[in-house]
Amino acid sequence: MTTIIKTHNLSKKYHHRWAVSDLNLEVLKGQIFGFLGPNGAGKSTTIKILLSLVSPTKGKYELFGNNPQYKGNSIYSRIGALVEEPDFYLYLSAWQNLKFLADITGNISKTRIDEVLDIVQLKDRKKDKVKSFSHGMRQRLGIAQAILGKPELLILDEPTSGLSPEGIKDTRELIKRLSEEENTTILLSSHRLHEIEQICSHMAILDYGKLIVQGDVSSLLHETDFFITEIIIDKPEDAMKFLLSESFLKKMTVSGEKLKIHVSSTRRPEVIKKLVEKNFKISSVIPRTSLEDYYLSLIEKRHIK
Amino acid sequence: MLLLKLIYIELIKIFKRPRSYIGFITIGILIPLIMFLIDKFGFDFQQHHFLPFESAFLFQGSLVNGYLISYYLMTVLWVHFPFFIILVAGDSFAGEAAKGTFRIFLTRPVSRFQVITAKFIATYIYTAIIVAFLGFMCLGAGSIILGSGDLFVFDKGILILSQNEALLRFFIGYLLAIFVQMVVASLALFLSTLNDNSVAPIIGTYAIIIVSIILSILKIDALESIKPYLFTTYFDVFFSPFADPIPWSDIFNYLIALGKFIGLFYILSIVSFVRKDILS
Repeated sequence: MTTIIKTHNLSKKYHHRWAVSDLNLEVLKGQIFGFLGPNGAGKSTTIKILLSLVSPTKGKYELFGNNPQYKGNSIYSRIGALVEEPDFYLYLSAWQNLKFLADITGNISKTRIDEVLDIVQLKDRKKDKVKSFSHGMRQRLGIAQAILGKPELLILDEPTSGLSPEGIKDTRELIKRLSEEENTTILLSSHRLHEIEQICSHMAILDYGKLIVQGDVSSLLHETDFFITEIIIDKPEDAMKFLLSESFLKKMTVSGEKLKIHVSSTRRPEVIKKLVEKNFKISSVIPRTSLEDYYLSLIEKRHIK
Repeated sequence: MLLLKLIYIELIKIFKRPRSYIGFITIGILIPLIMFLIDKFGFDFQQHHFLPFESAFLFQGSLVNGYLISYYLMTVLWVHFPFFIILVAGDSFAGEAAKGTFRIFLTRPVSRFQVITAKFIATYIYTAIIVAFLGFMCLGAGSIILGSGDLFVFDKGILILSQNEALLRFFIGYLLAIFVQMVVASLALFLSTLNDNSVAPIIGTYAIIIVSIILSILKIDALESIKPYLFTTYFDVFFSPFADPIPWSDIFNYLIALGKFIGLFYILSIVSFVRKDILS
């Protein structure tokens, strides 16, 4: 698979603080790559480096196999980006703002401008000055300018921030559609963990500028034994002893009628089958798996360290 | 082609902002008002200097005419007029950095070098237009309200320029004034690249101009050695066409000196902006 984004020990120092430190990231073609981390983790700085808004202190990066630092900015005609809150020329209309950007990007027709305004449902407000737009409308216009040039790579920093629930849903659907129909590679930075969980195929978690984990969402969430599955069972103590002797499971606890086991979702049916075959009476199986749990746990661990 | 598009975009940005019209409005109101007041209440200078000449020479038209007042009003090009240029140029980079518009602008296939060049050229075009507007208002409103006639200039002696000759000299003078104001614009643009809010470059440029003018005009021996390095030393080049004969050689040397300052501020702007991290 073609590598679209690759960073090699990418680092950025502001005064005495490393905002990004030795970051090695790889995003392949067609992936929807979630970029997670608490405030100040270095997500926006990384995105700004990739977009040449900020120069790295050390390390390097490649976009489509080229380093924009040496190859020039022509590569950015293949990229659409929304960095933090979009800021437009307030004294210009939505259409004029997009026309400016279309002129610079090149090969974008006026019809395409209308098309993207239609996608983000701003076509009927296209002649209004941006200063009259609400935060959500500006955010939608930000998405419009990002997809204006039908980019091969879309970099979105908190794209659903400030949007209404309807707008959030539409944006998610748009991201999925772009990925599925146009095979657009998407780097999505978000605080909304369930958003990443729902739409991303891969993800990376950053904290204090360092990469904590990187991989495909499915593996990270379902093939690890990080998550707890709660089983309400008739003899939890006996069930625990049985499982410890019979199976691969090592981590489990009992709390009342609940047997809490650490198991990946892929191996969960196997465990249930063993218990049923041993005539344990199971009344319910509750998987406690969410990206939120995973994320918070990783961040917590790092902070304790 | 891309550069032309960028210049066009920069011009639209300039002319869509209300602050760009402050200069035009001020000039549009102030100049006719001055002409009107002189017409109504006289010109104090006239009583002391011109009355003896009026009886001694034969003039075409009135001595205190629109051209004479326009000539005196050219002194505003030293200290007062640059404010209108600085107001626009100082906001060019810093304003965008503050508003965050660079984030959408610089993530396009455009180099920062092209952006800087486009901003400089667009600001120079604005500078030329507003200086031309000042000239047009001075000569136009002056001629309508005070009438036209020969221009009486106190230079090393007394120089009387015919109406047509005076117009030609004004034309050359305002062309040179554009060049002088381009230096002001370049300095403001450079300081604008260093800041993320437009107040600092506006105040900074103005402060540098005032200090430089003071140093340029002070007749102190110790300052003579630094005067060639002050751009304000060459500011009065726009008065040179009102000498007889026109000192073309001096004008050329002054233009080269001013051109060096423009080049210096342009290069410094490139160095500053190309390396600048866009954080806001």
